[in-house]
Amino acid sequence: MDFMFVCFATIAVLGGLVMAFHKSIVHSAFSLVATLFGVAGLYWTMGADFLGGLQVLLYVGGVTVLLLFAVMLTTRDSMRLAVVRYAFWAPLAVGGIAVCLLRAYQGVGTTIAAKDVVLATPTPTTERIGNLLIDRTGYLLTFEVVAVLLLLVLIGAVTVARRGEESTP
Amino acid sequence: MITAAILSATQTMLLGVTATSAVVPEVIEVVPGSLAGSLSSYLVVSGILFLLGLATILTRRNALYVLMGTELILNAANINFVAFSRFGGYGIDGQMMALVVVMLAAAEAAVALAIVLRVFHDFGTIDITRTDSLRN
Repeated sequence: MDFMFVCFATIAVLGGLVMAFHKSIVHSAFSLVATLFGVAGLYWTMGADFLGGLQVLLYVGGVTVLLLFAVMLTTRDSMRLAVVRYAFWAPLAVGGIAVCLLRAYQGVGTTIAAKDVVLATPTPTTERIGNLLIDRTGYLLTFEVVAVLLLLVLIGAVTVARRGEESTP
Repeated sequence: MITAAILSATQTMLLGVTATSAVVPEVIEVVPGSLAGSLSSYLVVSGILFLLGLATILTRRNALYVLMGTELILNAANINFVAFSRFGGYGIDGQMMALVVVMLAAAEAAVALAIVLRVFHDFGTIDITRTDSLRN
């Protein structure tokens, strides 16, 4: 399990590094795919199998395709605009990451050891999540609100993206 | 958990039922010194992803890069939700919140990309430093 964690965390962090600092936006989008897949793997190592699958379906399959389409549709601009705007932020980010790693090195095996637990037997979570989503005392209200929101997003995205002659400034 | 508490309170007001916590007793076993079995390792990965997303948002001029950085930050928050829920003994409440965040992120990406296309159509560029019609 440790090996899987190291693999997925490495994929996620390396993908994030490439995404943040690469010059080509297409490379950045594809390394974002790697990062999102690594995060899905981290969910799996935490026993969240359904959430990991949903991450792969929605992010890797959906959001990234949307991003790539937007890159293609705005391509004569996005290639030129890939340059870094404020280069002094990069050392700050690297410094923050270094602090994170230093804290991790100091904290291995020592910090919050009382809370460090793993599931003895990982159980499938799909049934529990499904039951909670249709439970009045669970997340039924959240489920309905998200459903209404998705409908609004569907209509809103079409309305905004449609080329209307009356709304050109 | 604060969000879950707010949602539970809202449910109690709207539906007239008392929301009970969805904590399910888990079979747990302490593994000291294990990377995949410790909360801090997940928090470190989440912190690194958050910083990378923040750096992307702050340093790029392209609006699509800003969107990608937002997705990265949302994922870092999701890792925190799941990790705290698991290692704090809250069952799958954190996974439910992460589920909602993933749905909201997908919706946000759809709307934001529609806005990006609209801005590209109207301004001829998606440079976020040049779409400043409201300045002055």
